[in-house]
Amino acid sequence: MSSADLTTDVARRPFTGRRARLGDLVLEGVAGAAALAACALVGLIAWKIVDGARLSLSTFGPGFVTRIAWNPVAGREVYGAASFLFGTAITSLAALLLAAPLAMGIALFLTELAPRAIRGPVTALVETLAAIPSVVIGLWGILVLGPQLRLHIEPWLHSTLGFIPLFGTPSPAGASIFTAVVVLTIMILPIVASISRELFLGVPQELKEGALALGTTRWEMVRGVVLPYARGGIAAALILGLGRAIGEAIAVTQVIGGGVFIHWNLFDGGDTLASKIAAEYQGATSKLQISSLISLALILLVFSLVVNLLAQWIVRRAARSHGGGTVRP
Amino acid sequence: MPKSGTFIRSLAAVALVAVVAAAVVGAAGASTAKRNSVTITGAGSTFVAPLIAQWVPALAKAYGYELHYSPIGSGGGIASITARTVDFGASDAPLSPDQFAACKGCIQIPWALSATSVFYNLDGVKNLLHMDGPTLAKIFLGQITSWNDPAIAKLNPGVSLPNLRITVVHRSDGSGTTYNFTDYLSSVSPAWKKRVGVGTSVNWPVGSAGRGSSGVAALVSETPGAIGYADVAYALQNHLKYFAIKNRSGKFTVPALRNILAAATLDTKPAADGSLSIVNPPKAKKYAQAYPISTYTYVIVPLQTPKARELKIFISWAVTHGQSYGPKLIFQPLPLAVVRYDEKAIAKIHS
Repeated sequence: MSSADLTTDVARRPFTGRRARLGDLVLEGVAGAAALAACALVGLIAWKIVDGARLSLSTFGPGFVTRIAWNPVAGREVYGAASFLFGTAITSLAALLLAAPLAMGIALFLTELAPRAIRGPVTALVETLAAIPSVVIGLWGILVLGPQLRLHIEPWLHSTLGFIPLFGTPSPAGASIFTAVVVLTIMILPIVASISRELFLGVPQELKEGALALGTTRWEMVRGVVLPYARGGIAAALILGLGRAIGEAIAVTQVIGGGVFIHWNLFDGGDTLASKIAAEYQGATSKLQISSLISLALILLVFSLVVNLLAQWIVRRAARSHGGGTVRP
Repeated sequence: MPKSGTFIRSLAAVALVAVVAAAVVGAAGASTAKRNSVTITGAGSTFVAPLIAQWVPALAKAYGYELHYSPIGSGGGIASITARTVDFGASDAPLSPDQFAACKGCIQIPWALSATSVFYNLDGVKNLLHMDGPTLAKIFLGQITSWNDPAIAKLNPGVSLPNLRITVVHRSDGSGTTYNFTDYLSSVSPAWKKRVGVGTSVNWPVGSAGRGSSGVAALVSETPGAIGYADVAYALQNHLKYFAIKNRSGKFTVPALRNILAAATLDTKPAADGSLSIVNPPKAKKYAQAYPISTYTYVIVPLQTPKARELKIFISWAVTHGQSYGPKLIFQPLPLAVVRYDEKAIAKIHS
């Protein structure tokens, strides 16, 4: 009896058959409605944002994106997104640069190097880091991390690497782009680390044993087998982390210090698209200010979309050149 | 299969129980609400929130009104009342003409009186350092950058001021306190008025931003040499050192009740739109003790509202009996003339 016959036979049974069909209908209906609702929601959000941004975009034109200005004082209102775009780019990229090697290290340690007994507890701890609410990390950023960075790390970086413009005069307050970068690093680290760990676990044991049998060292095995096998997935994990860093608002607002200017000193204040929206939306008083904040949201949306598409492209390319071990963002 | 079936069934049972429980609780909630019948909702200023928190039980006792207030910030309060999602809005900054037009038939009524304190973090330096308006404006403009600057030293003879960089801290979010503070700076410094101006959020020339009064206070207390501002009750509760500020009569005054009252005598007749600015009173005997960064804060209601009766009772109570809850939170009870004005304004509310 073929499987097709089996299905019809089951379907023909009087009671269970009707129940099965009813169940299928319900499943189809519920799942379909859920999918449709998600699509409709995205559409509605996009429409609402474009609609809200209209006033600002028609007032300032495309110059809104390139202008460095944010003055909400009545009668002098002028808004521009350039410094926030810059802030978003520099904080998220720097956080990613810091988080990537750390996350790889954690993931390799947990899959290849750590004694079995401590793998479980350390994995659990790393994942707990992801569960800390961002507002709590932000608070810790102001009260603990900021002062430490200002007193110890920033002066040290400035005196040893001060010739690089990134490490300029240390911030007088603990709130700076650098503090925001470290806070973001802590926030994206667990995501990237735990995805990478899963990827490394997925590397076939035979490949690793084969490499070791050929007489490679552990490092050569990691470099030659584990990392290439998981490459596409790692790229996707990093992009996921980048997405989180770009969108994070509250914790960044708490520690970034503010300021409407573009500069290369990490130790000075700034703002990101998300942090500016979080800081000002609730207290915004004029229509133009609200519309300009929504325009920032629109830019953030487009920015995230571009990053996401880029990620998918990277993952696909990596998947084509190497077999398995990929996850989609 | 049977196992997962039982699982789903028990899940459904749990969900059913939850729904029934929610319905029962909801019905119970509805019935208590019905008993008290009147709920007044408001949103806005965080500055006035501690005072309103004191009013909630008193109002429930006196009239059986249930008062719900969300301290979402002055800007949010204006937006909420404009959209009529609440019965009243509260704002420390008076409505701008544009906002008045948008609010369609709203009135603003001054209903509480307090002040903004300017605080600093200097280890080993006494509380109540002296400060004057022009120097403060220069600090916030970034023109005075060190604590031992001659301008500050001149105001504080005999005090040894450290050679420490001044770190300006301000609000990142829109705030009525920022309005009051920039209103003062604009009144004492033409340069500030020209370059920055007055607003609930402005384009700060220098400084780090903290979110909310608590964010500003946290940054100031973690940063030696920092200077920031917040409502006076906040500075007192958090034991921050704050300035005695020189008024135009030449006296250094602290944000204490009697000094706020002295400033409030500057103008007891609100403008046509109900607003009253009392920053930086001129030189005169009756303002000799005035604290120059004092402010009224406002309740905003639609002239025509279905809850007219309840709002009239509530606001009349707030500007009279309600004021007695103010002093321990450093809210100075309103001057009699302002209460009279308020009562006339309240009488115009109708359904």
